[in-house]
Amino acid sequence: MSFLSLMVKNPFRNRTRAALAIVGIAIGIATIVVLGMVTGGLQTATTSTLKAGAAEITVTPVGSSGFGSAGGTLNESLANDLLNISGVSNTAGVIGLNANVTGVSNASSSGFGEGLLINGIDSDKLSLEGIDSINGSFYSNGSSNELILGTTAASNLNKTVGSTINLFGTNFTVTGIYQTGNFITDSGGFMALNTLQNLTSNDGKVSDIAVKVADNANVTTVSQSIKNAYPNQLTATTAADQANRINQGLGFINTASFAISLLAIVIGGIGIINVMIMSVFERTREIGVLKAVGWRSSRILTMILGESIILTLTAAVVGIVVGVIGVNVLLAVTGAGFKPELTVGILLRAIGIAFLVGIIGGLYPAYRASRLPPTEALRYE
Amino acid sequence: MNKPENIIEIHDLKKSYDKGKIKALNGINLEIKKGEFVSIMGPSGSGKSTLLNMIGALDRADEGSIKVSGIDLMTAKDLNKFRSQEIGFVFQMHNLIPNLSVVENVEIPMYETKLSSKEMRGRALELLELMNFSNLSDVISQDPTKLSGGERQRVAIARALVNHPSIILADEPTGALDSKTGDTILTLLKDLHQKENVTLILVTHEPYVANMAERIFNMLDGKIMEETNQKIKVHNLKQSKI
Repeated sequence: MSFLSLMVKNPFRNRTRAALAIVGIAIGIATIVVLGMVTGGLQTATTSTLKAGAAEITVTPVGSSGFGSAGGTLNESLANDLLNISGVSNTAGVIGLNANVTGVSNASSSGFGEGLLINGIDSDKLSLEGIDSINGSFYSNGSSNELILGTTAASNLNKTVGSTINLFGTNFTVTGIYQTGNFITDSGGFMALNTLQNLTSNDGKVSDIAVKVADNANVTTVSQSIKNAYPNQLTATTAADQANRINQGLGFINTASFAISLLAIVIGGIGIINVMIMSVFERTREIGVLKAVGWRSSRILTMILGESIILTLTAAVVGIVVGVIGVNVLLAVTGAGFKPELTVGILLRAIGIAFLVGIIGGLYPAYRASRLPPTEALRYE
Repeated sequence: MNKPENIIEIHDLKKSYDKGKIKALNGINLEIKKGEFVSIMGPSGSGKSTLLNMIGALDRADEGSIKVSGIDLMTAKDLNKFRSQEIGFVFQMHNLIPNLSVVENVEIPMYETKLSSKEMRGRALELLELMNFSNLSDVISQDPTKLSGGERQRVAIARALVNHPSIILADEPTGALDSKTGDTILTLLKDLHQKENVTLILVTHEPYVANMAERIFNMLDGKIMEETNQKIKVHNLKQSKI
């Protein structure tokens, strides 16, 4: 039997204890994997907001979040006024509202709260929202009962082209289903601007204005020009700014993930120290025998440390499998509009942390075992 | 014919514990020739096992000199290598590792050699065959805790011999066995000593066990009180043991 086989065999002498130690560490590893996959998925979804062809700037009232506001708070005429600013090639007034979906058992279609995010925009301006093609057809601007849905919303609401959906007390026909790659946009729907304004008593009002910048213009310069032109009225946020803000938010998740990683190392390390010290205590006489037959202290140290690492790497495998299955099931059940991403980096982090826990947890017991005087070890009862 | 050389030379060897309060060895002088069978007798606490530990380099003496196989154990740095190459230990409680199979237990000392796993397995099986384990295919996976006391001690002897040591140190090897099984083990050890020309040092407090040796040393209070090559009179000692 090789030395490696011996190291693999030893930690599982007491199967219950080994299983409990593995479960403890695997929970920490699974948490790290889940957070990593969710953060990665959200980052990818955020990056796709910078879609070519879509509006680069969102104009909202001063004091708003910059992501668009609920209801109509801006005059629709401002969309035309903005066309006079140098570098602006196209604009579109948009009104966004959260609609209750009736007749659907699962009203949480987007996974980001109850209801469906519906935007009103002229159909010929949909390219500014990143919608260039559609499965089915676009709604007509004068229509009062047509809308299009994003793929995630359609899937969660179980709607196809031709289906009917009741919003704001009116039945709408789904004329088309679009996909932009942006998980927020794909979790909502669009209808004609004047239809939504009429239904919600927001005639002549919009919540934000999408601004397309001319090819030869600088986005930041145009953004600043808009702010300068309407100093106390409008603020302009570029798509890059929006992505950065979202990424800042994801940065907090990353920090939390790092903190959980540290906690996993500390808690897992203490657990492994406990398990390995117990193991060394129980095997004191055996260690004496190994020394008596000529084993070097370094070999005993390697063996105990190796056993500790094997235990934590086994936990890493269990944690990764549980984490990957868990996050996919969780996001499928909640209907979140983005896909979790498993990257090599996440796997390396999980395995690296497990390895580190194995070393930290095994070092002291291994050192202790290697320093046992053989005569004392052999006398141990 | 050449006179056999001394394999063990001990002069005025002293070892104490508990800051000098317990004098385990109090000036031991001993010379043992290569290939001899020697037994060390004495009551509990007389220093027999301590002396055996010194010869086996499991512990270092405080004073005096001790040379084994030409190596000065007072100054030698790598005692592990010495133990691995020169010494085979047989303990009273056999000390087999419970989660390893019989053959894996015999392989344990060979991890410090440069043998491959295959060579280790071959050598271990060879030794187990020598120890009268007839069904070798069974012992590859056999759990040592399922063996009888005598069988376990035979496995322990195989483990002691596996690295071709020049000295076998047996500390009460029959102490945990019934007299019949003990006799079998002693006969086995004696046969091995003769066949392999290995030096055998056996610690016991049983006169009838000591009688099997060529020389007998009696210890008391950390000193060798007398040496004899005369057999000790045994009065129903076997019966008294039972």
